[in-house]
Amino acid sequence: MVADGTSPVLQLRDVAMSYRTAAREVPALDGITFDVARGEFVSIVGPSGCGKSTLLKLVADLLTPTGGSVVVAGSSAREARLAGMFSFVFQNPVLLPWRTLLGNVRLPIEIVRRKGRTPAEVLALVGLSAFEKLYPRELSGGMQQRAAIARALTYDPDVLLMDEPFGAADELTRDTLNVELMRICEQIGVTVLFVTHSLAEAAYLSDRVVVLSTRPARVAGVVSIPFTRPRAENLRGSVEFQEVVTCLRDALGSK
Amino acid sequence: MFARRTRLEVIAAPLLLLLVSLAAWETMVRLSGVNRIILPAPSAVVRAIWTERAMLLRETAVTMAEAVLGFVLGSGIAYLAAVVFTYSTLLRNAFYPFAVALKSTPLIALAPVLVLWFGNGMASKVVMAALVAFFPVLVNAIVGLNAIDPEVFDLMKALSATSLQMLIKIRIPTSLPYVFAGLRVGSSLAVVGAVIGEFTGAIRGIGHVITTSSYYLNTDVMFAAVIMISFAGIVLFGAVAYLDQRLVFWAKR
Repeated sequence: MVADGTSPVLQLRDVAMSYRTAAREVPALDGITFDVARGEFVSIVGPSGCGKSTLLKLVADLLTPTGGSVVVAGSSAREARLAGMFSFVFQNPVLLPWRTLLGNVRLPIEIVRRKGRTPAEVLALVGLSAFEKLYPRELSGGMQQRAAIARALTYDPDVLLMDEPFGAADELTRDTLNVELMRICEQIGVTVLFVTHSLAEAAYLSDRVVVLSTRPARVAGVVSIPFTRPRAENLRGSVEFQEVVTCLRDALGSK
Repeated sequence: MFARRTRLEVIAAPLLLLLVSLAAWETMVRLSGVNRIILPAPSAVVRAIWTERAMLLRETAVTMAEAVLGFVLGSGIAYLAAVVFTYSTLLRNAFYPFAVALKSTPLIALAPVLVLWFGNGMASKVVMAALVAFFPVLVNAIVGLNAIDPEVFDLMKALSATSLQMLIKIRIPTSLPYVFAGLRVGSSLAVVGAVIGEFTGAIRGIGHVITTSSYYLNTDVMFAAVIMISFAGIVLFGAVAYLDQRLVFWAKR
């Protein structure tokens, strides 16, 4: 998962978003500018309620920004969405209870009809091959979330958008899922934009971390993570790792 | 051990209550010497069921045919209407308040009008059954077709799913648990609708049997007819409940 240095796959320029309430206009995001290179893993951290999830939805054209522009591989966010360039992983697995695991993972290619990894391949990738005939309610929370990741990778999306995907998991499950996600990303080299409120998670997974300020959110800083890949599981216990987390915390507190 | 005993109790307790009640009824009728025209003994009702079995089965079949046909028609049209309302807010806003109001209106009051319009054959009863089954299914289907988790909506939109894909892959399966709740209510109402239609004007069916035997003071046949249609209604309800469990296997009950 090395950024190849060619033109960025995501370009955000002065992106602004405000909500109109009955009384006034409430700005949520203001002047957000950053790039994401192809194959890069970029995390977005910030105080809760600062609009991290909104930013992700703007990139995927689930919401339209009130200012600025989002360019995806040279085209607009809308064109990119219609071309099936995005896939989304939410905090909840959002699996369809009437479909088996295999059926759930097959959903994207039923809609996007793009050549890519088969459902069987992605289930193998997340280690769930043995469970493909089971229904979601027969699986643990961690397995359901792995299935959600598998589903997001089925049709080989250009950009994987993850909105606090492990936010609902307990700490142990979260650590395991982090290791798993990193292995998968390194294996297939997908571009990831990852929203989290865990600084350690951001530091462990990312190439770069975009730190947002409180509302209206602006980019308070972009921190490059110096660790080489592949990263060992015990990296998280090292002094250097703690220093990076401290650096992120300082960037958060500076605004 | 405990679980077994509970299971046995669930079957045995109501059965025992039924037997005790029937025995009490039988004893009361025999001891008090009440006129069998007013209250026939259970044994007399059983005898009536046996001797009139051919007629009772034939007429029950007529009523159930009307009820099932009306139920299928009414709920089918209701579901299609719900799909249309999901895609047209204008139509939905225009019709929905009336649908909710009519859901709890005693539409069986319309039976005389329906017999006037559709005659005293099967048609008026089918329409009656369809009409009473229509509204519970419509209201539940509208709720169910729109009971989509916002994240599922985002998931599908991020994939650029068309509204037809959204309907088939998400909305319809999501609606099924709601629709079946409506179908359970509708199936019972459809039988009521058909019988009421027959009371109002008919030459066939269990409702007709009840009115004529009441006229000739054949109270035992009246009771027999009521028991027959109750059983048929329970079977229809059971069939819907069975389909519900098989088709909507994922729903928490």
